[in-house]
Amino acid sequence: MARYVERFNTAERVLHWFVAASFFTLLLSGLGLYSLLFHHTFDLFGGGEGAILVHKIAGVIFFFSSLLLFFNHAREVVSFDESDRKWFRALGGYLSKDPEHIDSGKFNAGQKVFGLFMGIATLLLGVTGVINWWPQSFPRVIVQLSLLLHGLLFIAFVMLMVVHVYLTTIGNPGTLEGMLYGNVRRIWARKHHPKWYKEIAGK
Amino acid sequence: MAQVRSGFLVDTSRCIGCRSCQVACKEWNRLEADKTTQAGSFENPRDLTPMLYNRIHFIEKADDKGDVTWRFVNERCLHCGDAGCMKVCPSPGALYRTKDGIVGFDKEKCISCKYCVSACPFDVPRYGADDKVSKCHLCLDRIGAGLVPACAKACPTQTLQFGGRDALIAKAKGAGKKLYGENSLAGLGVLYTLEGKPEEYGLPADPSIPTSIFLWKDVLKPLGILGFWGSVAAAVLHYVTFGSRPLEEDGEEKGGDSHG
Repeated sequence: MARYVERFNTAERVLHWFVAASFFTLLLSGLGLYSLLFHHTFDLFGGGEGAILVHKIAGVIFFFSSLLLFFNHAREVVSFDESDRKWFRALGGYLSKDPEHIDSGKFNAGQKVFGLFMGIATLLLGVTGVINWWPQSFPRVIVQLSLLLHGLLFIAFVMLMVVHVYLTTIGNPGTLEGMLYGNVRRIWARKHHPKWYKEIAGK
Repeated sequence: MAQVRSGFLVDTSRCIGCRSCQVACKEWNRLEADKTTQAGSFENPRDLTPMLYNRIHFIEKADDKGDVTWRFVNERCLHCGDAGCMKVCPSPGALYRTKDGIVGFDKEKCISCKYCVSACPFDVPRYGADDKVSKCHLCLDRIGAGLVPACAKACPTQTLQFGGRDALIAKAKGAGKKLYGENSLAGLGVLYTLEGKPEEYGLPADPSIPTSIFLWKDVLKPLGILGFWGSVAAAVLHYVTFGSRPLEEDGEEKGGDSHG
């Protein structure tokens, strides 16, 4: 029996890193707009106007690639079953040294919520981004709220990204392999996503 | 402020609606004419434009008998003590305050984000074909040379007066006039004496920086920095307390498929 099982195919992995790259481009080009503390990040783009241009281009790329990523998994992340409810009750077992067994599918409840947030936040960041792009084409009060919402979603996004990176690297060893090479170790699949493992191992 | 704060007084009771101020501003600042259309009013243009830093707003009212009253008010940047435009501007120096309290702008440094358009309590900044900010700067170049702004120079009735802010306030109060903007937004640089309610002149009764702009820059921005470091701290704390979930390679993991 092979030691590995496939978790993400090549297309899924390329799309994920495409979204990730455009996200970090957006982060870098947007920091200077967020606060004067980061004014010098504009230098990376030859000044504020360059940063805004890059932010707009990366924004369009991110919007469509992130939504595509969401729709690829939409069916999996919108349905919650009994083991997901158990995951919520136990907070994924993350606040316990000896967590109880949770029979998660391909994505656990936390990942589903993360995926849902990504889809909704991408949509809203895109809509508010367009309004901020052409402020003179919209009523002032709409633009004012849009600037606020864009900032709010940005902060939520960055905070979740810290959590995402932690949980997929040092928090859960073996996870990153799935997104780098496509395959995860069987023991990883059995440990983290037992229901999914049973499905694919039974094939 | 190290220096005495400059002020500008618009005494609406003296205004005759001649619009010399509009013309003088265009002349001095070399602003092109705007093409406008006749809309049944002597007011022209109907709004500030990137080529119109100040204008006379005509308030035309007819009573039941059909008698018409006219009021005129000079509209422009009010050079707020606490300026919304400066609060949101991400490009240092694009909008700046002089030592005597005037809010100037530098098109070279403007990065065309247009945040100032949304943050101004009075909807003043305009962006033109060059996609750069423009607004009244009280003729900083003239003031620097010891002259008064072009509009005030051209005003034939002394409706527009430039001078020390405190002196202008004392003078208006001494004449028993009702002042607008003495304390709003850390004191407006441009003050009005009005003969009615501010709303009748198209001015907000209690001007303030828009709430969502305040929440964005004064609440969300610091909270965001806190949120980022908070998440990093939470991750580190989790790692050193509950720890990661290693994979036991010998296949004898405790509790089997324990985690979700």
